[in-house]
Amino acid sequence: MPRPVALDGCEFDMTQVVLTDLTKKYLGATAPAVDRLNLECESGRLHALLGPSGCGKTTTMKMIAGLLKPNSGDIAFDGASVLHTPAERRGAVMVFQNYLLFPYMSVGENVGFGLKMRGVDKQTIRRRVAEMLELVRLPGIEARRPKQLSGGQQQRVALARALIVQPKVLLLDEPLSNLDAHLRDEMRELIRTIQQQMNITTIFVTHDQEEAVVLADRIALMFDGVLHQVDAPQRFYDGPVSARVARFFGGANFLPGQMHNGQFESRLGCFAVGQGAVLNGPALLTIRPEAIQLCAAESGSQQKNHLPGRIISRLYTGANTRVKVQVNEFTLTVIADPHAVDAARTGDMVTLYLAPERLWTLPIESP
Amino acid sequence: MERLRPYLMLSPALLIIMLFFLGGLGVGLMRSLNYMPIIGLTEPNLDAYVGILTDRTFLRSLGLTLYIAIASTAISMTLAVASGLLLRRSFRGKQVMTFLFQLNLPIPHIVGAIGILFLFTQGGFLARAAHAVHLIEQPADFPALVFDRYAIGIIAEYVWKEIPFIGVVVLAILQAVGDEYEALAQTLGANRWQRFRHVLLPLILPGVLSVSVIVLAFTLGAYEIPFMLGRSFPQALPVLAVRSYTDPDLNQRPQAMAMAIVITVFSTLLILAYMELSRRIVRKE
Ligand SMILES: Nc1ncnc2c1ncn2[C@@H]1O[C@H](COP(=O)(O)OP(=O)(O)OP(=O)(O)O)[C@@H](O)[C@H]1O
Ligand SMILES: [Mg+2]
Repeated sequence: MPRPVALDGCEFDMTQVVLTDLTKKYLGATAPAVDRLNLECESGRLHALLGPSGCGKTTTMKMIAGLLKPNSGDIAFDGASVLHTPAERRGAVMVFQNYLLFPYMSVGENVGFGLKMRGVDKQTIRRRVAEMLELVRLPGIEARRPKQLSGGQQQRVALARALIVQPKVLLLDEPLSNLDAHLRDEMRELIRTIQQQMNITTIFVTHDQEEAVVLADRIALMFDGVLHQVDAPQRFYDGPVSARVARFFGGANFLPGQMHNGQFESRLGCFAVGQGAVLNGPALLTIRPEAIQLCAAESGSQQKNHLPGRIISRLYTGANTRVKVQVNEFTLTVIADPHAVDAARTGDMVTLYLAPERLWTLPIESP
Repeated sequence: MERLRPYLMLSPALLIIMLFFLGGLGVGLMRSLNYMPIIGLTEPNLDAYVGILTDRTFLRSLGLTLYIAIASTAISMTLAVASGLLLRRSFRGKQVMTFLFQLNLPIPHIVGAIGILFLFTQGGFLARAAHAVHLIEQPADFPALVFDRYAIGIIAEYVWKEIPFIGVVVLAILQAVGDEYEALAQTLGANRWQRFRHVLLPLILPGVLSVSVIVLAFTLGAYEIPFMLGRSFPQALPVLAVRSYTDPDLNQRPQAMAMAIVITVFSTLLILAYMELSRRIVRKE
């Protein structure tokens, strides 16, 4: 059941969004842009729709907003299909990447646009516009023209213009990708704060996994129109469903072998494995680069989950150092604290420790 | 030097404008004031202006010219915007339609006028066709669409020619505007009419108005179409001016020049007024 949340005189109905087998194939395209997508967005939460360029994120958003008709499948808000509700009455407001402030209107008129379309009286509009501008921390700029604003300010005005109509669902398409790094942090924080304050069901699109992790309660990861994993951010690091997902989140180190009674057998020996997506049979063993412990050569390379290797390269990136270690014919990537590997040189022998609880198995990739 | 550069680069164009515009206008102005030192007229006066401005023929011509210009601009602008909006949608055969739409862009006005004569006169193709299928008793019963009171033939020719001209600009503007503004407005709750009225129209209006100013200026000053398709009384101002100018009575010359000057001043004022008006409309949006 939707529960109204009060905030400065605005009430938001928290809305749950469910996509069922949602499919969109553009006219003349060979493959569908979105293929049988199933996704449940909890009410009042911030969801990230993540994936590389062209994977169908905007297409999905446009279908939820009602701007694009799916070929098949269903979209339901709070259990009721909205497939036949036109965009203007659906209550899903989309904020576009390029802000799209109406250039011929003042900031105040831009923010008040949605209310004007609903025939709200001028006085109420003026009051609500002031409230919304305050909310996005741009009080008192009603009279300015969009041209006179910076990119970050335009983005915030666009957000205010969306929030003023109290949308059931807020759809943000790459809201941060046009901003420089500093502004992006500020805007992230603002989106997060407002979203939590208002408990508004929000879906935001990004191709940046870090951004998704920082902002979202849940992440839906898409490749080529297909949803691959929907989870809490942490799970994409600890428990990816495939090597592709793991790689997208910066994972490395994939070792083919066989899983047997909690033991992983491979060309590099036998490992005790805590958990995984594959518990029996052929699998890939993976461990995140930052989870590998780099030890001195003599520290027990014969023990379980220890591997002897030779450093073949190191790259200092500021916050950490990326070390590549050759173990037989395999190269493992380790991300280490720069100070811990200060003394290590290319060519040095080292021992790697792969803690069982950090190991994870994945299905073998089809070629 | 660096600062002079734009002027230097513009100088050929400026020179031509000076020579023809100011030179021509200057000579015309002098002539209209009966000031021609070469032939011994050294006392300028306003006789020619008084003459034409008190002449009912001239005033009726002025009215007709205004009516033709405003009507044909307004009609072609409206139809061009409407067709632009239709051609923006995606449908089967869109490219063919767009091509047909622009087909008469390179055709000269004069050819359009001949076409209209051929089709619409009371001895023309349509009249004869209507007669042949017994819609009318004789070709002369065909409604007067050319050389007529309401200048329908003239306006039709202008509309025929200017729709694709404005339309091409409208299509380009629509392309530049894209459809995201409307999509956004729709998610904010704007219905179809509201999206047109509050989003699309204000976005395209500045461009549409600037191109229609060109059409307005052209129709105010054009000679050939009213000459070919207009009645002999009243005549459009440019026709009247040319007739006075070519009159064997040389005393008509100053009046012809005065008419030209009045046309110039008048179109300038009208265009300025139009631009100011459109600016206000755009700002109010
Ligand atoms: N109007 C369209 N007509 C045909 N194909 C389209 C259209 N819009 C998008 N596509 C195709 O559909 C696929 C998905 O596009 P979409 O815009 O949803 O991707 P995206 O994930 O938003 O990408 P990006 O991160 O670059 O914005 C792409 O292959 C794209 O080329
Ligand atoms: Mg996109």
